[in-house]
Amino acid sequence: MALVLGSGVLGLIIVRESYRPLLALFVVVVNTILSSIPSILALIGDTQTGALSIPHFTGDIVIRIDSLSAWFILIINFTSITGVIYGSGYLKAYSHLKVNRELHWIFYTLFHASMLWVCIFEHGVGFLISWELMSLSSLMLVIFEFQNKATLKAGINYMVQMHLSVVLLTLGFIWLYFITGSFGFSALAQMPLNNASVWVFILLFAGFAIKAGFIPFHSWLPHAHPAAPSHISGVMSGVIVKLGIYGILRIIMYLRYDWLLFGEVILILSLTTALYGIANAALKYDFKQMLAYCTIENVGIIGIGLGIGLIGIGNRDSTMAILGFSGALLHTLNHSLFKSLLFFGAGSVYQQTHTRNIEHLGGLIKKMPVTAVLFLIGAMAIGGVPPFNGFVSEFIIYKGLFKGLLSIQGISQSILLVLTITGLAIVGGMSLMTFTKTFGVIFLGNPRKELHHEPKESSFVMLLPQYLIVAAMFGVALAPGFFFSYALKVVTDAFPKTIPDVMGSMSPVIDNLSNIGLVSLVFMGLLVSVYGIRWLLIRKRDADPYETWGCGYIAPVKKAQYTGQSFTRSFGLLFRFMVKEKKSAEKFPKQRIYPESYRFSTNYIDLLERYLVIPLAKRLTFMLNYFQFIQNGQIQSYVLYGLFFIILIFLGTAFNLIH
Amino acid sequence: MVSLLLILIMSLFFSGIIIRTKSIMSGRKGPGIFQPMLDIFRLWKKGSVVSTTTSFIFQIAPTAYFASVIMAVLMIPHGSNPGFISFEGDFIMFAYILAFGKFLMIISALDTGSSFEGMGASREALFSMLVEPAFFILLGSFALFTGQNSFHDIFSSLHYGSQISYLLGGLASFVLVLIAMIENSRMPLDDPKTHLELTMIHEVMILDNSGFDLGVILYTTNLKFAMYGALISNFFIGMLPFEISIPMFFSIQIVFAVAVGIIESFMARFRMGHNPQFVFILTSVSLLIFFGVLLVLGKFV
Repeated sequence: MALVLGSGVLGLIIVRESYRPLLALFVVVVNTILSSIPSILALIGDTQTGALSIPHFTGDIVIRIDSLSAWFILIINFTSITGVIYGSGYLKAYSHLKVNRELHWIFYTLFHASMLWVCIFEHGVGFLISWELMSLSSLMLVIFEFQNKATLKAGINYMVQMHLSVVLLTLGFIWLYFITGSFGFSALAQMPLNNASVWVFILLFAGFAIKAGFIPFHSWLPHAHPAAPSHISGVMSGVIVKLGIYGILRIIMYLRYDWLLFGEVILILSLTTALYGIANAALKYDFKQMLAYCTIENVGIIGIGLGIGLIGIGNRDSTMAILGFSGALLHTLNHSLFKSLLFFGAGSVYQQTHTRNIEHLGGLIKKMPVTAVLFLIGAMAIGGVPPFNGFVSEFIIYKGLFKGLLSIQGISQSILLVLTITGLAIVGGMSLMTFTKTFGVIFLGNPRKELHHEPKESSFVMLLPQYLIVAAMFGVALAPGFFFSYALKVVTDAFPKTIPDVMGSMSPVIDNLSNIGLVSLVFMGLLVSVYGIRWLLIRKRDADPYETWGCGYIAPVKKAQYTGQSFTRSFGLLFRFMVKEKKSAEKFPKQRIYPESYRFSTNYIDLLERYLVIPLAKRLTFMLNYFQFIQNGQIQSYVLYGLFFIILIFLGTAFNLIH
Repeated sequence: MVSLLLILIMSLFFSGIIIRTKSIMSGRKGPGIFQPMLDIFRLWKKGSVVSTTTSFIFQIAPTAYFASVIMAVLMIPHGSNPGFISFEGDFIMFAYILAFGKFLMIISALDTGSSFEGMGASREALFSMLVEPAFFILLGSFALFTGQNSFHDIFSSLHYGSQISYLLGGLASFVLVLIAMIENSRMPLDDPKTHLELTMIHEVMILDNSGFDLGVILYTTNLKFAMYGALISNFFIGMLPFEISIPMFFSIQIVFAVAVGIIESFMARFRMGHNPQFVFILTSVSLLIFFGVLLVLGKFV
């Protein structure tokens, strides 16, 4: 794989500009095939292992594709391929930015390969190197338009937060090495049962949680996603965030005790993440930022699945545990599908209108009907309504919650589970509100503002990946039993000791899910037939075109339409403890009798970011200012530092302080 | 199967009973109970006026809304007789299928580009979001109470042992009545009686629909009422044979309709800003039911 990548990168440097997307596609496809074959083998059969021996490195680096890695590798591959196809169409509009595009495709292939490496390295150091490679290459992808100051700023924000994650992970692995003498993930299982080893889990969890976007570590998402080109946002939101989930799953499969405690903590954290994410998403005007917050919500839902799974293990209820974990896995798959679809749709809209503010849009369904329909499918799927795929995974998670409610004895856990059900129901309602608003304001009604040029339907290259994704989504929606049975295998492989092999006892659940697929099919049939009856009945009747009823007012203005802001205003008032509205207005000149033009703007601020993350970062930088004298810009002093360091090392070895 | 037929029959004169009750309460004679349905038939035969702003969403939404409610009705059992579709966890799908119809109705209101309809759509989205938890806690409590996980199993194994559990049944009907009122935007929340533009939620959302589509939407509202009525009646029917359960079904539905009529005659509409508080009452009553269930099961130690 490394060989293909190497030649690919070389090729990308040599090959002429116009062929680069094709070559990138080729490299991604070859990597995909190379990694998918062992993954599929791992998913249907046994774990595939291998070892790399690198000179000057003690011991072999174990490479292993077990079914958990395989699940994520297949998700990565699908999303990356759709991303590269979409991207080759999307970046055509940026033909003037030659250098940017050249670098872009090189980093895209590197990004894809590094994500695969993250999934296959069992050894901690190899894992960390590929993790870092992934963060850096995705950073380069995010700052595609590096000439733009705002993009660069978002990129730096992203870089800093990703390195916080790397630092935590490195610390965790070093600590692990000191306790057990091994860098591998599987060493987590050999740790002695004491408090120190809990801290290793907490460090690793925090590192992965930054990547996954749990609150309060979420603040990189709403900045990085709008800055990146849309196919990158799609892949990042669909996959990179999921690798945080992969990491969390990877560490909790070695957890040997305290399941209940970890489960409850993860459950509460995820529930607040989901609520916080969707409440912010409902109120944002920038549609890519809205999608980023919605990713946070979905990570919360996945986390709820993980929490239920852990609580299930803690209570020795293997059905609940399986439902929780497999719900989380399926939601990971589903979210990577519909979120990339939505980001691709959003990208097409952005490319045609050059604005990300939904209040400037409207009526696009007439100009871009295909994009609108695809976006609608994505929006309904993410809202979790049947007959789409989002419902399947949410159903499994609900089922796990209800199962737990019936089997768990303790009152505190019962209350926790009921609160989670409540929270999940509210999250479902809020995402309905968010996506009716987004879809309605962007695509329906009349255009709210004059655009620079008439928007038109995006090209076939950009629509093709969206068709592929929709096909995959309906696959999950109509054959959930099939996908669930593989998720079941992943779960039983990952937790061999704590969840006994229960393939047999899970067959009612698989039947149950096949029922869901069937009911979805019946529902679609019913929808079509009812519409068909309507069509038969009224096709001969006259339908007079007329303008929208203005309640007697005969001079309607387009500005009077309901906007996104007004749609969610009462919601915002109700949830002002979570998301605060900030109004800013120009000072009103008093001496004038008749007011002239006057600016007034509102926006919603992310309370956690404003009052927790930014002050914390400010305090840190304030302290670091005292060390600024070190970076004085004189080359002589830098040489001096190097010399000083060498002497320090020499003294250290001389006095046997460093081995 | 039985419940589908019963609900369809009931939906023919449910709103007729409400209107009749209201007219008797205000001292008028009032129309016959089939009059609303006859009006709907008349609408089904009419042509329509379609706004030029709208797209195909506006065309498909009313029928999709109707189909989603029919799908939900198919899941409702009648006592010991399971619904057309019945599987473990069907009430989750019930709630989400209703959400499908709501989603399309909301965006079809936004499709007209009218400021009035946007207002209705916004409120519909808000109130249906607030009502969702109450339904889930209610069903969760009864799942816990009976140890079952589907509509049919819950209702057929529901038997009232102690006095507290009678209280639970009463509270559950209270919650369901209010859910039905909110879902259909009836009196304490919104006043469907006023002139169309002055209603605030549901009626204002469908200002632009006319002819066949309007008839479909109005009929769906009746169907939804009868559906919630059927759910309420299930709390009391249990394992009774048809000779008793079918008259009981109708009498419970009629009591429900008369109660709606009486509420609408004697209550004024709340201020829109106070509605969320009112909706939250439902969630807290559902939580009360949940704690009641914990008490009955002896989980409070």
